[in-house]
Amino acid sequence: MTATTRSAVRFLAPYAVGTLLLVAVPALLTVGYAFTDHTGLSTPRFNGLANLRRLAGDPFFRASLRASMVHVAMAVPLRLLAASGLGLLLAAPRRGGRWYRAAVYLPTVIPDIALALLFLWVLNPLYGPLNQLLGAVGLPQPTWLATTWGARVGVVLMLLFPIGEAFLVVLATRRQVNARLYEAAALDGCSPFGQLRRITLPLLAPVLVLLAVRDLVLTLQVNFVPAYILTDGGPGNATLYLPLYIYDQAFEFLGFGYAATITVVLLAVTVAFIGLQLALVRRWRVLR
Amino acid sequence: MTDADTVTDADTPSARVALEGLGKRYGDVVALDDLTLTVEPGELVVLVGPSGSGKSTALRILAGLEEATSGRVLVAGRDVTRVAPHRRDVAMVFQDYALYPHLTARDNLAFGPRVRREPAAAVTARVERVAVQLGLDGLLDRYPDQLSGGQQQRVALARAMVREPAVFLMDEPLSNLDAQLRLAARAEIVELHRRLGTTTVYVTHDQAEAMTMGDRVAVLADGRLQQVGPPQAVYDAPANRFVAGFIGSPPMNLVAGGGALGGEPGTVVGVRPEDLHPDPTGAVALTVTVVEALGSETVLAGHSGDGSRLTVRTGPRSPCRPGDVVRLAVDSARRHRFDAATGRRLP
Repeated sequence: MTATTRSAVRFLAPYAVGTLLLVAVPALLTVGYAFTDHTGLSTPRFNGLANLRRLAGDPFFRASLRASMVHVAMAVPLRLLAASGLGLLLAAPRRGGRWYRAAVYLPTVIPDIALALLFLWVLNPLYGPLNQLLGAVGLPQPTWLATTWGARVGVVLMLLFPIGEAFLVVLATRRQVNARLYEAAALDGCSPFGQLRRITLPLLAPVLVLLAVRDLVLTLQVNFVPAYILTDGGPGNATLYLPLYIYDQAFEFLGFGYAATITVVLLAVTVAFIGLQLALVRRWRVLR
Repeated sequence: MTDADTVTDADTPSARVALEGLGKRYGDVVALDDLTLTVEPGELVVLVGPSGSGKSTALRILAGLEEATSGRVLVAGRDVTRVAPHRRDVAMVFQDYALYPHLTARDNLAFGPRVRREPAAAVTARVERVAVQLGLDGLLDRYPDQLSGGQQQRVALARAMVREPAVFLMDEPLSNLDAQLRLAARAEIVELHRRLGTTTVYVTHDQAEAMTMGDRVAVLADGRLQQVGPPQAVYDAPANRFVAGFIGSPPMNLVAGGGALGGEPGTVVGVRPEDLHPDPTGAVALTVTVVEALGSETVLAGHSGDGSRLTVRTGPRSPCRPGDVVRLAVDSARRHRFDAATGRRLP
């Protein structure tokens, strides 16, 4: 081991210890608890595959899984589209551009809870500004959080705002692209849309893939706060996302063992989705 | 290779390019001031000047990548001043090549024709033909980052050729190559130009490239055209002090009139280093401070009795050492005189 490696190891050691104690050990404990009847009150006892059998026949779990899938299918593409669209739009230097960029980033620094409370007001069917706006232009005014799809879309709407990190990554990547490439393309008669399709998007592809994977992991989890504040899983379990259901099982019903089982399933679902994404990336030859 | 395989004058009609009174301002900064220049069909004209002289700006206005503040651009007699870049029938080679990093060399070459929706079979054939001409045929499936600098430069050149334009625009295409490669590529571009016969405007800051490549050179400084003419004519009779000092390496000795090189007050006298000859009866006494033995020649640098710095080019294996005093004779027929105030050449 060279001196450089030794000092690198010393510097990284605190993080390694932290990761071990705060992530690895609890994760392993969770896998262990998944096969117990742990309630947090008594000594956990091994109960084999009882939790998995319960899971298979649990209609709330099926509703929760469906809610999570629907949420990811809507939120990930839309969040990515918003982040990359705004990132590309605001990458070019223009007068006042910094204010627009700050405006896009700003909702990201607002705490989830505050943003959720804000959206409780925004989505209010009677005095919320969104419905007033829709009414003003003659569009239908849904009762948002009171209907299945209204609630699902409402949560996604809220999550369309904290996209600052992906926005910054797209912005920075776009700015790294050599401006001469666009001049060469312009000399060949490539339209702005053609330049987006033939140059910008292919060059951004590796970053977009990374952001898609990251956002998938994130989106499966960050929906806890909006669901807890906005809908509490309702109406009719339409927004009973897996993190919310896990929370309910663990802390409302003191079913730590069963909650651990669902957590392991959430992990498996996440891994499966990432696998699917990467398979599509390979299939569509997104990366060279 | 038969005639049909070769790109000749016949299938790349060459165009006359005319820049008429071009001006470009960035706020208060004048990048280009009233540039008028005509490039004849099939001619290779080199725009040369130090950085900030406006040469690249002129080329970019000609390409349509920047808008002139005043003046007109004509290609083949057509006013293209307000015409989009791709409707000007020009192709450009960029200094950093501007190859699309996510595309293979083949797809880089085919990019333009595909954008213009040309028939695929014709595009493939043309790409292959140009690749063979430039010795790229084994490299077409590589990505730019898998190619050497010289190969990337050729791909950039090939991409411009596939366009079969009426005018080639080259913006310092060799400045990113190492010295040896640059020399070879310089000869290749000249040879290619001779073969294709396409009008070419070539921008460089390297006076050696300007001297060796151009049918004519146009020297720019501070956004203004200083002189235009065949390289040797510009070398032999520089129009002003700037051109005298810029063209030629080592540069011309310029000494105030009445000094070591003679002449009258109010003038500046210029003598090229090769026009100063060691001669025991010579009028100038040079105290040598630096001896640069370049193998094929020796360059002596030093100062004369009145302190003027002079450079002398002599034959190889010079016996001179720093500290020696060498007497020099001036080839009076090759003495240049410039007005000290305006810098203009005096008869």
